[in-house]
Amino acid sequence: MPEKLWRSLDEWHTVSQPDEAEFHESPIGIGGGPDRRGFLKAAGFSFGAAMLAGCGRTVQKIVPNLVQPEGFTPGRPVYYASTCGACSAGCGTLVKVRDGRPIKLEGNPDHPVSHGGLCAVGQASILGLYDSLRVTQPAIGGKPAAWTQADALVAARLDEVRRGGGALRLLTPTVHSPSEAAWIRRFLEGFRNSRHVEYDALSASAILDAHQATHGARILPRYRFDKADVIVSIDADFLGSWISPVEFARGYAVSRDPGATRYAWHAQVEPRMSLSGTKADRRVIISPAETTPFVHALAEAVRTGGSNRPEIAELASHLRAARGRGLVVSGSQDLDTQVAVNRINETLGNYGATIETSRASRQRRGDDRALETLLEELNAGRVDMLIVAGANPVFDLPGGDAVSKARFLAVHAERLDETAAKAHVISAASHTLESWGDAEPVEGAASITQPCIRPLFQTRSWLETLAAWSGHAGPALDLLREHWRQSIFPKTKTDLAFDRFWEKALQDGFVEYEPPARAKSAAPQRETAPPQQSKPPEGFEVVLYAKAALLDGRHAYNPWLQEVPDPVTKIAWDNYASLAPAAASKLGVASGDVVRLECAGQTLELPAVVQPGQHESTVAVALGYGSRLSARFAKAGPEWIEGRPTLNEKGLVGANAAPLLALERGALRYSRAGASLARTGKRVDLACTQEHHTLTVPERLRPAAGGARPIVRETTLAASREARPKDAPVPELWPPDHPYPVHHWAMVVDLNACTGCTACIVACQVENNIPVVGKDEMRRKREMHWMRIDRYYSGEPDNPRVAHQPMFCQQCDHAPCETVCPVLATSHSDEGLNQQTYNRCVGTRYCANNCPYKVRRFNWFEYARDDRTANLVLNPDVTVRSRGTMEKCTFCVQRIQDAKIEAKRTGRPVRDGDVQTACQQTCPAKAIAFGDLNDSQSEVSRLMANVRRYRVLEEINVRPGVGYLKIVRPDSAAGGEKENG
Amino acid sequence: MKSRIVTIVLAVGLGISCVLLASRIGQFHLPGNQQGYSPAQPIAYSHRLHAGEMQIPCIYCHYAAQTSRHAGVPPANLCMNCHRDVTSSLGALHAEDELATHEKRKPRQVVSPELQKLYDALALGPNLQPDPAKQLRPIEWNRIHSLPSFVYFDHRAHVRVGVACQQCHGPVETMERVSQFSDLSMGWCVNCHRQATRDGIGGARVNASTDCSTCHF
Repeated sequence: MPEKLWRSLDEWHTVSQPDEAEFHESPIGIGGGPDRRGFLKAAGFSFGAAMLAGCGRTVQKIVPNLVQPEGFTPGRPVYYASTCGACSAGCGTLVKVRDGRPIKLEGNPDHPVSHGGLCAVGQASILGLYDSLRVTQPAIGGKPAAWTQADALVAARLDEVRRGGGALRLLTPTVHSPSEAAWIRRFLEGFRNSRHVEYDALSASAILDAHQATHGARILPRYRFDKADVIVSIDADFLGSWISPVEFARGYAVSRDPGATRYAWHAQVEPRMSLSGTKADRRVIISPAETTPFVHALAEAVRTGGSNRPEIAELASHLRAARGRGLVVSGSQDLDTQVAVNRINETLGNYGATIETSRASRQRRGDDRALETLLEELNAGRVDMLIVAGANPVFDLPGGDAVSKARFLAVHAERLDETAAKAHVISAASHTLESWGDAEPVEGAASITQPCIRPLFQTRSWLETLAAWSGHAGPALDLLREHWRQSIFPKTKTDLAFDRFWEKALQDGFVEYEPPARAKSAAPQRETAPPQQSKPPEGFEVVLYAKAALLDGRHAYNPWLQEVPDPVTKIAWDNYASLAPAAASKLGVASGDVVRLECAGQTLELPAVVQPGQHESTVAVALGYGSRLSARFAKAGPEWIEGRPTLNEKGLVGANAAPLLALERGALRYSRAGASLARTGKRVDLACTQEHHTLTVPERLRPAAGGARPIVRETTLAASREARPKDAPVPELWPPDHPYPVHHWAMVVDLNACTGCTACIVACQVENNIPVVGKDEMRRKREMHWMRIDRYYSGEPDNPRVAHQPMFCQQCDHAPCETVCPVLATSHSDEGLNQQTYNRCVGTRYCANNCPYKVRRFNWFEYARDDRTANLVLNPDVTVRSRGTMEKCTFCVQRIQDAKIEAKRTGRPVRDGDVQTACQQTCPAKAIAFGDLNDSQSEVSRLMANVRRYRVLEEINVRPGVGYLKIVRPDSAAGGEKENG
Repeated sequence: MKSRIVTIVLAVGLGISCVLLASRIGQFHLPGNQQGYSPAQPIAYSHRLHAGEMQIPCIYCHYAAQTSRHAGVPPANLCMNCHRDVTSSLGALHAEDELATHEKRKPRQVVSPELQKLYDALALGPNLQPDPAKQLRPIEWNRIHSLPSFVYFDHRAHVRVGVACQQCHGPVETMERVSQFSDLSMGWCVNCHRQATRDGIGGARVNASTDCSTCHF
């Protein structure tokens, strides 16, 4: 034993008593009682034993229906055909109802407008039903009231207006519901001075006005992208947010199928990188001020065949070569420009071919001139009573505050938005899924909206409120049925009796009929003077646009839409000032630097984002942000010690850019010149998923000889029509131990069809109970989306080419994640699925680290599930994962199991198409195919044999179960096979 | 002194917990295992009488087992298919008949107290007509067979291939009060799946998968 050292006498005293233990065993020190360890042992045992003995069962209750509704089986979903009410496009939906509650919207494959697709907004709109912060009952002067009180007050005021001959105005967004339109007419009939004004926050008023000028009818024609061989879009983001994106994306995909005999050429002329621009074969960047001269020059070139500007000559030659098969669309709000666009289409004979006026669209009916007049009247105090239904002018119009100058303001609203907050009376609106209604998005296609649940709160549909205020209160079903009996039923010229007709319409969700022919009017030949060459405006031009997910901000309450990254910038939870790289470097700002944007007396502070492919003199800002409905997201995401605020200093998500809009010369204008930008020196951290989960190897780790990894591949149209060469055998280290005896599930994603619209991401989120993590967690790369869409640029930053690549678990045969899991929580199934077993997972995250595709998501927290109303949207067929669990795309295994069991139950084999994953079902472009590779006739087998099919990171030989089809670039631009990494 | 108090408290605590534990040691299960669980139900419904003596097929009441994941507890209106006419046991009816003859009066309607609960739930008055004075009151049954929320069992698949209800639920037709027969553990499930794949069910070949994602998703 070494000699003990001491440094003082006291110490010496201690070390010299060697038999005393270092720690005193007994707290009391005197023998007799239990020592510390003994005490803990005994107490611990007693405590544990008592706990174990007291272990009880949690008693669960089963409460069956007393009287079971017919055709209703617990645990079995029922689908109802209905119409989406999330925007005015009027897509057909199938509502999946489980045990009495709607849990998912799917596209109605037979619907004449949407053909089975549904966008991100439509998918997310179901959460609006279970929003506990909705207006739950009518209110008078901000105080809750009963319906009888609210109706009595409104009736009294209406009576006053009627007797006094006062001015009654009704302000709504586009009304394409035939029954609502009829009831609005009926409602306004008894008043001497009444008017109904329709407006769209994302207006297409100039197109309607232009058709008034050139065709003698104020209509929005129906654009048939599915029939077009040459598509020229001048600042119309028809794949993102313009009029009817689902319908257009479907048509666009039809026209651009390399397997078909024709393949459309698409040119996009725009100031900022829009979603449509990312898909274009030719992208021309012009500023908004150059749009009008450009269109006139194009019109001239189309007529004469030549132009001194090469890009215009190119467009014109394409258009002239495809007479009657071309389509020129424009999102411009300038009447002369739209008239010129009509002239181009007229010259080329596109009317009647790719542009239908006989079955015109009713998806935008807003009249900005009438709106301008209404605002003037309001400001002059000449409106005695204003009723606003389903619109939020205070938020989305410049000078929309004027509504509060009406002597009496009644608002029919679902949420307490900026306009409802100013109302004297609020009529609490039901969600679409709670209401009877109808829609006629396209003339001759009437679509039914049916309720799938009783109103959760004391709310009423607009139809019921209208009828009540007209003095004919009644249930909406009766009102609707009566209208259909009188107006729609005769038009269909069907042989069925009305009851049978009505049942069939309910079952299908829509009816089609020949719309009455529009009287051919001698179109006043309006000649437009070519615009004077004005000198380019000073400073920046502001371009205001709508994001594909948030649109005009009416869904700003929806966390799913806030969290889905923008398809182009990949930024969520914010709007920002997009700048061209050159403009940003001139200003000396980088992404995240806050800039002050001054324009027309308005000031906005926004973070800058450097966006390739934008016009140098423009700054693009998204509308729909800064809504008071977004104030609720203060606690979006987990609360923890390092948590940072998820809202900006105003307590909102983003800033409202609507005050920058200009309502002038009869149109709501989305661009404005004369803006100035200045640095503020502040910085914010944007939630940008652009570089999260990257597949590329960092520069410093890249093998010298390796070069780029083939992630996105491109091909030419000619090459895509050849036969697929036989795949070379790949050397194999692994034994062939995955025989897949029954099924072999696989997926193929057509990158050429994918528009990057993000509908699949939201569909996946709804289907698979994926939590919302909030802005701060997103900044930490902790978003939970099982599926992401990677956006890659190639070429020069001033006008790059873009590729969208949906990326999710690739269900590898030789999955690297499976070999590293220490608890076998991730393993391979006999059907080619890489299974994730949540209850086994201990959260080592080895699998995520070893995943070459970076598609695994870890639950860092117990994400908020404390809103009991919102929880009603959860899919009962999918486990809600808890903290510490890894999760990832399962190929919607719950749907696979259900289809298999259902096939077994009905005694037939599983057929191709029985299993549709959530992403596949919703995809407007039908870019995703899913099925069984063991079935050689299945669509997925056919696509796997397509010449364009490749696999991502094929060289590492993990044998993914997901194939991708190469992007097709026009033969001249791509110059052969390309591999981008 | 102090140490003695501590010792006594500990000894008493130890004693109590041992007694508590000993009384329950016989029915000890791993957490989550509810084998033998047999709670009293709001209505003392007898499976022995209905499924055993009367030989009503299981699927008559639990019809959802054929078409849905859940077998379900039947809605009260399904009970009324029979109990609109049958309001009491035959014995009680005979007794009333005899009593009535004895007392020289018309026999009264006999309603068993348990069935009265059913009629009360459906707000039915005398003569089984809806009674506006009563309120509909759904019956809250105590759930016996309960799987964790991360397990998805589907009755459809099992009923279709001919797995007898009794194989998992035991001889319910002999049970006055239903109790959980099997332990419903994963090992128990997997054993049966393996066996069924090896031996088939009723002579037919089946593919009872043991993939994780068969039940966990």
